[in-house]
Amino acid sequence: MKTRSRFGVFAVTFAVVYSAVYYVALYNNWPLFSYGPAVAQWTLFNHSASDGPTMYWYGWIATSAIVGALAGLVACWLPGNPGGRMWSGLAWLVPLCSIAAIAHLLSGYFTR
Amino acid sequence: MWIALVITHGLLAFLLLGAITHQVVSVWAPVRSGAGNFVARFRAVGSANYVNAVIVLYLVTAALGSVIYTNYRITARLTLEQGHFWKSFGAFELKEHLIAIGLAMLPAYWYFWRPSLEASDARTRRLLTTLIAFIVWWAFLAGHVANNIRGLGT
Repeated sequence: MKTRSRFGVFAVTFAVVYSAVYYVALYNNWPLFSYGPAVAQWTLFNHSASDGPTMYWYGWIATSAIVGALAGLVACWLPGNPGGRMWSGLAWLVPLCSIAAIAHLLSGYFTR
Repeated sequence: MWIALVITHGLLAFLLLGAITHQVVSVWAPVRSGAGNFVARFRAVGSANYVNAVIVLYLVTAALGSVIYTNYRITARLTLEQGHFWKSFGAFELKEHLIAIGLAMLPAYWYFWRPSLEASDARTRRLLTTLIAFIVWWAFLAGHVANNIRGLGT
């Protein structure tokens, strides 16, 4: 098997780590920041808006993207490029598992 | 302004839907010989030509959706909750998470659509494309249903 390029290693690692971290961030509510749309208020980490609902979705994406990008950069710059032999199927399998886990979390809405 | 944004978001989503559907059909049922009828021509498109368009449309549509989402959160979502439209509500909740997971796969999707792909990675390309197509279809339908229940600006 040919060793994957550094960008290929980054891309697969990013898909794997981002998807897994997104589920963890969602499950534990670990957003990098929060937003209150009624009062246009941004706050760092998990803080309720002073009025109206609070949105964490942007923050979960930011948390996952940063962790995924850092993991991808580390993986693609490791000496000897060990990530180059990583199974490429992880790039769809881990996101698929994350989707299944999130669907399970939300299953209550479909069974009411 | 919100209505114009929703319509633009819907049109971009429609373009994305067309591009990714062409691609997913062509990777699962490619046409080997000359394309005769409409279905065969649909399957016979040059899938690789759609990659950059799919990525740009996905990013622009998601970015626009994320702006509209702030309005949805304080208007339409309340209607869905108060009307007990739980299945539509859940479908929209799932949509936002699917879109976020789709963002994770875009670099890999681009990478595995390079012309110099190894044969062993062809299945990865096919399944990444299929998963992104599923996400786009789910997002389109869930958004459409939510908008039918309580359109923005109404």
